[in-house]
Formats: sequence, C-alpha cells, structure tokens
Amino acid sequence: MQNLIDFILKYKYWFTFFLMEGFCLAILIRFNNYHGSVYFTTANSLVGGIYTAADGVTSYINLGTVNAQLEADNISLRDEVQAMKHELASHRIDTIKYEGFNKTRYKYIGAQIINATTNRSNNLLTLDKGSDDGIRPEMGVICSSGAVGIVYLTSAHYSIVMPLINVKSKISCSLKHHNAFGTMEWKFGDIRSAYMTGIPLHIPIDKDEIVETNGFSDIFPSGIPIGTVESTEQSTDGLAYTIKIRLAVDFASVRNVSVITNYNHAEKTRLEFQADSLMNI
Amino acid sequence: MILLLAVQLLILNHLHLFGYATPLIIGYMIICMETGVSRMSHLWWGFSMGMLFDIFSNTMGMGAASLTLVAMMKPYVLKLFMPRDIVESFKPTIENLGLSRYIWYTMSCMAMLHCCFYFLEAFTLADLLLTIGAMIGGTLLATTISVCIEYIVHNKLAEREVSK
Repeated sequence: MQNLIDFILKYKYWFTFFLMEGFCLAILIRFNNYHGSVYFTTANSLVGGIYTAADGVTSYINLGTVNAQLEADNISLRDEVQAMKHELASHRIDTIKYEGFNKTRYKYIGAQIINATTNRSNNLLTLDKGSDDGIRPEMGVICSSGAVGIVYLTSAHYSIVMPLINVKSKISCSLKHHNAFGTMEWKFGDIRSAYMTGIPLHIPIDKDEIVETNGFSDIFPSGIPIGTVESTEQSTDGLAYTIKIRLAVDFASVRNVSVITNYNHAEKTRLEFQADSLMNI
Repeated sequence: MILLLAVQLLILNHLHLFGYATPLIIGYMIICMETGVSRMSHLWWGFSMGMLFDIFSNTMGMGAASLTLVAMMKPYVLKLFMPRDIVESFKPTIENLGLSRYIWYTMSCMAMLHCCFYFLEAFTLADLLLTIGAMIGGTLLATTISVCIEYIVHNKLAEREVSK
C-alpha cells in the first residue's frame, strides 16, 4: 500500500495531467456536437469491430463442440435411415388400393368450354371433346367449384352441355346436413341463382347451408356442390319449401371442366327399364 | 495574464492568417514562467487559462487540453535549450537564453500548442494538409508575436535598469 502511495506521489504531476486531459476530452465531446458525433461513430465502429473479432475467436474455439454435435446428429440420422430402410424392406407394394381405384364407378375426362351462352332461357355450353374421347349424352359435367351441367348431345369431337342455368335442367340434389332431397331448377334471369323445391316444411334450413348432388340420378356422384342456401319461402301449394340457391359455379367465367363417365350407368338404366316393364305387365 | 487573454480573445481570435491560421498567444504565459514555479502550478495555470480561453471562444476543451499539454512538457523542452549548470530558478528570456535559443524554445512550445489545438479542432485526418497549414501558420505567427512581446518587455526592463 505504501509503495502504491509512493508511486502515486512520485508521479502525481502525470496523474494530474492525465486527469486534466481526460476532463478536457470529456467536455470536448460533451459540448461540441461535431466532436461528439465523430467520437460516437468511431466508438461504435470500433466496438463493432472488437465484437466481430471476439465472436470469430469464440466461434473458432467452439468448433470442437460444434463438430461433436454434428457428429452426434450424423450418427442419429444414419440410424434413422437404417431403420427406415429396414421398415421399407418389410413392406411390399400394396395392390389392393390400386385395383380398387380401377374398379371405381366414375372416371373423369378433362375438357374445355369453347362456347357458352348465358343470356338465354335455354343456355348451352360447347366442349372441345366428343364421342371419340369417350363422352356420351347424359354424363355429368363438373368443375373445381361444383356441378356445371349434363351432356346433352355429342359429335365426334364436340359435346353440347345443358348447364344448370337452363330452364329445362332438373337435377336431384340434397341439403348437406339434413339428408333432405329435392330438385334444382333454374328460372330465366339471374345466372348466379337457382331454386330448389321439394324440401318438406319440417326440415330446419340454415342460411348458407350447402346444397349438393345426392347421387340418385347416377349422373353425378353424391357430394358435388351446387350452391348455398340464400333464402327460403313456402311453395305455392304450401307443402314444401322453395329455396333460393346461390350457385357455386360462376357460369360467366368457367373454362375448364371434367366430364364424369359412369361405367355402370347403362347397366342401371337397363335394370330399371326391365323393372318398369315387368310392373306394367 | 488578463491582458494576454484579452488580447487573444479580442484581437487575435479574429485574425485568420491565410484564411485559417489563428495564433494562440496565450501559450506565452506558460512559456515565460520560471523553472522555480512548481510543476503542479504550471499545470493548474495552463488548465485554468485554457478553460477561460475556451469559455470565451466557444472551443470547449481544446484550449485547456492544449495548454495543459504545453504546461506539462515545457520543463522538458526548456531543458534542451537552457544551460546545464543552472540549479536555481531560471527564467526563460531572450537575455538568459540568447535570441536564437529563445526563438527555437518558443517555437517548439508554440508548435506543440498549435498541433494539439488544431488536431483537436479538426478531430479527423481528412483535411490533414489544411490542419498542418493552420498549425504551421499559427505557430510562426504566435512565435513572432511572443518574441516581439518578450523583446519589448526585455527593452523596458533594460531601460528601467539604466534609469536607476
């Protein structure tokens, strides 16, 4: 301690000098805007440089730990790959689903609408595919939004579709949540709206409930959206609802469609025709 | 001391040789101090004088730092020019040092003062030539004025001696 005091006393001029200079620099930076900004800019870049260098050194020192961790990760991943390979080897290709898919009733043929009318009561759509592509009359036509219509006539390379917005179009449909089915019809006028009739009065109907195909007609599979409930009112006979539907498909802009082919449709029609004939005898 | 400060603040601060070199004559007060005065007194005088100069010239810290540096280094500079055999108090004057040595001594101290002051004022090395120009100009001018003051004071003292 005495030595320290002696040292300070011996160099008291220098200590005083450095204290005074330090004070001068402090007030220089504090009271001169230019000097203050230069000091802080330099100090910031200097400290940033020191931190970068320190970070580099720390990263280098920690490389051993990082390597060990990477090695452990590699071992774990290798184990996982081996386990996966083993698991994969124990499975053979499952053909059941594939065969089942082949046996499905419905298949889809992609087509494009090349001509359409939307301002008449008997609106029609023209598709760029025809009987050569496997399209036959009474096949359903859908798009990504929902049901579009039914094939009406075909030629070798073109088809005419009767869309939902045709006054002669009648499609069997149901309310998604109530299993209540009815018939969808279109009235000339608004191409975004249609009407569903035949829903009994005891069925509670919610607004925005989805109206979809019910699969009865065999033209459309069940569950293809037609639209949503917009409003309800009693029919003129007072026995059922007449539901105004907001159609899911915008017929003014639809272009790409799929035609649904049902391999069993002919068989079903034939059987129903035979049953009717027997009943009439 | 007050007269020196007044001359510096009222006259010399408005003098800009070649547009940027201002002589800092306040260093003369430290230069002419005797060696008998303690180093601590040198420091306090330099610091106080510098602070007063800074307050009135709005150069906070620059003058005080420069004058404190000169006050600290003056004994070492003077040792280079004063005779070696002198032990007691020695006053650095033209008479004691001789004109040539006195000019070199004054110029050395003034150069130190101006270097420190102008580097602190610039606070960057961007306009180094301009800063060096101001330093050299200020040093030469301040040295000339200091020697002139010393010469006048020396002559007056000599006249007073003769009249006695």
